[in-house]
Amino acid sequence: MPRIPLVAIVDDDESIREALCDLLMVAGLACCTFDGAPAFLADQGARGVDCLITDVRMPGMSGLDLLERVRAGGSNLPVIVLTSVLDQSARARALELGAQAWLTKPVADDALLDQLKAAIGSEDWPGEPGQ
Amino acid sequence: MSPDPPGEPAGPARTEPLYVAARVSEPDIADFASESVIIFDVDGAIQYWNPASEALYGWPAITMVGRGIGHLSTRSENEREHWRLLLQEGTWHGVVSRRTPSGIHIVVDIRQYVRFAQDGTPRDVIEYGRQSLSDNGIDGAGWHIPDRLMAAGWEVDVSGAGALIAEIARLRKEANADEKLLHARHVELVEAARIVNVNERTMRLVGGNRGRDLMIGQPVAGFWPLESRKVAGELFADAMLGQTEGATHRRQMPSDGILRDPLVTVWRADEPGRLYVAVNGTVDDDRSYLYLRASEARYRKLVHHMPVALWQVDASHMGRIYNDIRATGVTDFCAYLDEHPELVDLAAATVRVTDVNRAAVQMFGGGSALDLMRPVGYLFTVARHSLHNVMIGRFKGQESHHEVTKIETFDGRVRDVRMSVTYPKQVAELDVTIFSFEDVTEHMSIEAELRQLQADFTHAARISMLGELTTSIAHEVNQPLAAIVTNAETSLRWLSRVDLNVEKVRELTSRIAASGRRASDIVQRIRGMAAKRQPERVALDLNDVAQESLLFVRHEIESRSIRVTTDFARNLPTAVGDRIQLQQVIVNLLVNGVQAVEERGEGDRRIVMRTSEKDGQLALTLRDTGPGIPGEDIERIFQGFFTTKDSGMGIGLAICQSIVAEHGGSISASNHPDGGAEFRFVIPAAPA
Repeated sequence: MPRIPLVAIVDDDESIREALCDLLMVAGLACCTFDGAPAFLADQGARGVDCLITDVRMPGMSGLDLLERVRAGGSNLPVIVLTSVLDQSARARALELGAQAWLTKPVADDALLDQLKAAIGSEDWPGEPGQ
Repeated sequence: MSPDPPGEPAGPARTEPLYVAARVSEPDIADFASESVIIFDVDGAIQYWNPASEALYGWPAITMVGRGIGHLSTRSENEREHWRLLLQEGTWHGVVSRRTPSGIHIVVDIRQYVRFAQDGTPRDVIEYGRQSLSDNGIDGAGWHIPDRLMAAGWEVDVSGAGALIAEIARLRKEANADEKLLHARHVELVEAARIVNVNERTMRLVGGNRGRDLMIGQPVAGFWPLESRKVAGELFADAMLGQTEGATHRRQMPSDGILRDPLVTVWRADEPGRLYVAVNGTVDDDRSYLYLRASEARYRKLVHHMPVALWQVDASHMGRIYNDIRATGVTDFCAYLDEHPELVDLAAATVRVTDVNRAAVQMFGGGSALDLMRPVGYLFTVARHSLHNVMIGRFKGQESHHEVTKIETFDGRVRDVRMSVTYPKQVAELDVTIFSFEDVTEHMSIEAELRQLQADFTHAARISMLGELTTSIAHEVNQPLAAIVTNAETSLRWLSRVDLNVEKVRELTSRIAASGRRASDIVQRIRGMAAKRQPERVALDLNDVAQESLLFVRHEIESRSIRVTTDFARNLPTAVGDRIQLQQVIVNLLVNGVQAVEERGEGDRRIVMRTSEKDGQLALTLRDTGPGIPGEDIERIFQGFFTTKDSGMGIGLAICQSIVAEHGGSISASNHPDGGAEFRFVIPAAPA
């Protein structure tokens, strides 16, 4: 029985967090949510996640700063940036910092899940439940 | 040629002047003669009867002009023979006996001269007369005719009041007649009596400058002092019911504010249903009549030529109605009028304009003053509520009432006017209300244009401000849309599964609805700010407005890691204003604050918003932790086109200032002692 991959979601908007969480659940993934970058960094349990999905513009600390902090800690955690921001220089910086993908809201479910699958690896990817 | 007394004067339609001025200049000269001057036509009919004749014989000119000389004489056969001789010989002088209204005969020295036309035929007869010295006449009577001797004359028609007179006769015979009823009937008789004609003096005393034409055909009561209407009615009834032909009925009346101790004499005219009324008495004023007349003439001239349109209005009967209403305990007259709109209708239809000046005629485009001398309703065809307000002012006992309203002229133009109403001071005084109207249409249209221009600018500034917030707005709207898309797709995934979780799908669908509403709310808010609309004045809570303003910049603030602290005063009184415009001011100040904090970079990134109330003034203070305002800029910061930014027109704060000023408040900028800029605006709280 393969373990269920765990995905962290960082977004200041509760409705976005809830929606993403439900999408991951229906895809057979587990998730934990954080309303900001500091909350994610403060949570010890978050170190074990398989992937991180983060927004960019957030109060307290931006998604890019979070990515920087994660990389500065020496982690290769796959990070997917999911944002409304269309700023090309921000996108370039994120990719430079080794972001898995830069996706814009609203995102198509398949596009997000494909990126998650690529990040987690198909061997750990759960079979579609209920099919 | 017949010396018979000529026929009686014509009916009510007669409008020719009473002092018939056949040779215009003569009566003018004779008006001030101390000797009786009478002009007869060749048939012996009186053409002119000067004031001294009124004084000598006691007959007002009104009752004499048009009558035959026989009316003065008891022996008409002698008169006839005398007249024939006079016309033959051209001149006569001697002593005659003449009849006075009181029935007494007086002996008069007269001189008569026939004047001839160019063809040699007799033109008229001029007679000079003075009381014979042998008949207790007073020699060398004053150099002018004292005013008290000049009677105010009336010719009155009571033919329409036959039933009323009959009822009075019946009531008078009753042993225990109802005094109140009789009183009322006497007053009604004065109301039913119509004016056939009046002389100069009557016109002057009670007619204003309405002129004779406007008095003729009107009820006597409309011009007769209220205090003595009952006595007048009694005299009218006495004269109509009296058995003796030619008997006079007279009564001394109390001073009525017009004449002092007037003596009223009433007698039946020859024509059925007609009465003559003569009122003698001095003008109730210490100044001499001539002085008074000159002063009055000056006053009338002044009023007539005044560039402000003036109306003189008699609302005395409304004053009495208000007294009755007040007596029933009504205090909120405004509510009372709302419940009784018929009272406003009554005022519109019955309160008469009694005088207007030239500017009034011009304003309404009337042909003459007569066109405007009707009930006041025509002044309020467009703005009926203004009449309502005028009535409330009177009810409350105000000295005056002012408002800007609209009128419609006779040729259908609608004009903006500033109306001022001056109410009579005391009920006892002459009840005269003065309306003045000033045409402010041009003024108002310029004001309206300025207001429009300002509204346009304010709107432009709002659009520009929204432009600066585009990124935040897009982000704000995009968030719920993103949630909707993901929730919908998750739902579809559940729906395609065999282990369909209906409960989950229901939850996702309700979240979709909630996010949809949220997106719609944001769009509504932006649309309100973007719409071009006329400002409105509504009651609002400044705290609510401040809270709503924060929503516009929430994302702007959060994404820049700025902390906003709010300190809203509790139980803040209501303000009156335009919600969108006040939001515009606060959002503008917030955006400025955000930019100031950004400018400073690192450190304490904070904006503090505070509301407070003091002495009926509501204040909103916004402090930032930016670099503050350079000293030299503080003075100019609210000027238009002042900006320190690379982009932006610099109209934001100027518009804020004009919006706050429109709300009756003020805005100021300063640097906080602990650093950063502080903006503060103050607007008055709504009156409790």
